[in-house]
Amino acid sequence: MVRIALAQVAPRLGALDDNIARHHELIAEGRRHGADLVVFPELGLTGYLLQDLAAEVAMRLDDPRLAELADATDGLSAIVSFVEESDDHRLFIAAALLEEGAIRHVHRKLFLPTYGLFDERRFFAPGDVLRATPSRLGAGLGIAVCEDFWHLGVPQLLALDGAQVLVNVSSSPGRDLAATNEAGLGTASSWRNLMRTYAQLTTSFVVFCNRVGVDESITFWGGSEVIGPSGQAVFSAPLFEEGLFVVDVALDEVRRERIGLPLLRDERLEWQLRELGRVVLERAGMAIDSTAEWGAQPGFDVAPSEPAGPEEPAGRGERASAPIPFRKPRP
Amino acid sequence: MSAVAAVPTDEAGRPLFELPEELAIDTDVARRVIGGFIRGQLQQAGFERCVLGLSGGVDSGLVAYLVAEAIGPANLLCVLMPYRTSSPASRADAETIVDDLGCPSELVEITPMVDAMFGRDGVAGAGGASDLEASALRRGNFMARIRMAVLYDRSVTFGGLVVGTGNKTESLIGYTTLFGDNACAFNPIGDLYKSQVRQLAAAIGVPRAVIAKAPSADLWPDQTDESEGGFSYPLLDRVLYWRIDRRRSLDEMVELGFERALVERVERLVAVSEFKRQVPPIAKLGPRTAGVDYLYPRRRPGSARD
Repeated sequence: MVRIALAQVAPRLGALDDNIARHHELIAEGRRHGADLVVFPELGLTGYLLQDLAAEVAMRLDDPRLAELADATDGLSAIVSFVEESDDHRLFIAAALLEEGAIRHVHRKLFLPTYGLFDERRFFAPGDVLRATPSRLGAGLGIAVCEDFWHLGVPQLLALDGAQVLVNVSSSPGRDLAATNEAGLGTASSWRNLMRTYAQLTTSFVVFCNRVGVDESITFWGGSEVIGPSGQAVFSAPLFEEGLFVVDVALDEVRRERIGLPLLRDERLEWQLRELGRVVLERAGMAIDSTAEWGAQPGFDVAPSEPAGPEEPAGRGERASAPIPFRKPRP
Repeated sequence: MSAVAAVPTDEAGRPLFELPEELAIDTDVARRVIGGFIRGQLQQAGFERCVLGLSGGVDSGLVAYLVAEAIGPANLLCVLMPYRTSSPASRADAETIVDDLGCPSELVEITPMVDAMFGRDGVAGAGGASDLEASALRRGNFMARIRMAVLYDRSVTFGGLVVGTGNKTESLIGYTTLFGDNACAFNPIGDLYKSQVRQLAAAIGVPRAVIAKAPSADLWPDQTDESEGGFSYPLLDRVLYWRIDRRRSLDEMVELGFERALVERVERLVAVSEFKRQVPPIAKLGPRTAGVDYLYPRRRPGSARD
């Protein structure tokens, strides 16, 4: 049994010292509750909508303030999130696993949404590495940040890399109040679908910690959750309410689920790698798109219904006609 | 699926207002988000109180209820600012709201200030004799800006932030006065269409008479938004929702059943009022320019007043 404390907090924008103090308080409170792991939301140490403040609140991994937070994790684990400045002065949205006084693992957010209400790529650099990490909990952890989970490969890779518990820390802005939304909020409905699906398909626990509070126009909706490896919710925190929510998780459910539903065992990674390799080359125009119709654009197999130009595609002339996935047998 | 609140009815069993299905919102979540937004804005600015101009209409009425719910009625000052031609019924509705909420209120007649500009009864004002003939548009804009000036003065005396009361529909079609009724410290209902304002107003307990009456800027007697604009709010809301929120093209709008001429007219209103929804541009000259490449949150460490 592992006890997880979800710190569904409302960080103060740009107020690093205040937020660090709050993290210390909540780690201590988690310890009083017997928590093995305290999870904080994305950019819980800095607030989300930083814009040009990002550089001003950035910390290097050897920052003494991070070391002090790590020191507070004697006998437990914590996942905290902040702006990391690298040696070459790139700024990352980072989530770190702190254990027994040390920074055990750092994940740099891979996918920086820069569309709609998001403008992350303007201010941050994307990470390049995704790794599951062992932890003192006796389980592999797969740590990702918010938008990372809107890309299918991320939870899959984390599970295949050895994670039994996928942890997503988020600052998800709530939007879409349409009365037809199941959870009363479009964003909440979408996330709930994603997390249940990932838990089921990776037969892993999914831990979601989302912040609350307001940055400028944006309201963050909380609704942190723990989903079991069968896709059933173990715990759902209330929407919009600040709090430290303690959840007990029976890790042996992963074993039971993976034996009963051996999806991970049955994954065919060589096949996936081979096909992905093909798609990569085809999309780059370095190989003939074996499934595309004549005249189709790279990455899109269907040709325009009424060809506007010459029969042969100009320039490249390397597309196959009709779908010919394999070499034709000789007559 | 959340239950869609039924539209309340009048004594005769007719719906108080029309709520297009696709615009129905979860009012509980809306109140929750808006309440947190109001408290967040105040906290980040170092304020505990709010000031708003209460006309007796559904927009400012709804905002009064939302603010009272979020921070308590004692922390809200409602300022009633009638002009001599303003509808007495509107003022009575505003007074009903103040009584119902139990919040502080103040009456500031703007008649002397407006008449001091345009003159009255053939006697020229500060604007000179020709201003005696000033158009209704100019007078209306001036009134809206005088009200803004009063609110910002009371912001100091009451120690509260000025809360905006404009809705999404009027903002998108530009049916607002720049630096007048659209001036505010923050706006809790600026992303709600008029139909949604009515739905939320019904849910939070704004008096039915206020919700049911024809919306009016009350800039001259018997003016109504819908007669002046030549549209109905539910239809206009639907056009804006599908065109803007749901990104439908003009042709797709026609396929959805909207009249092409109406959609085109709405598009022109939206385009021509773009300037009213944005901060004025600053000529880019130096290395870092506010709003261009000097980008800080409004509320950052040190930004709250002491």
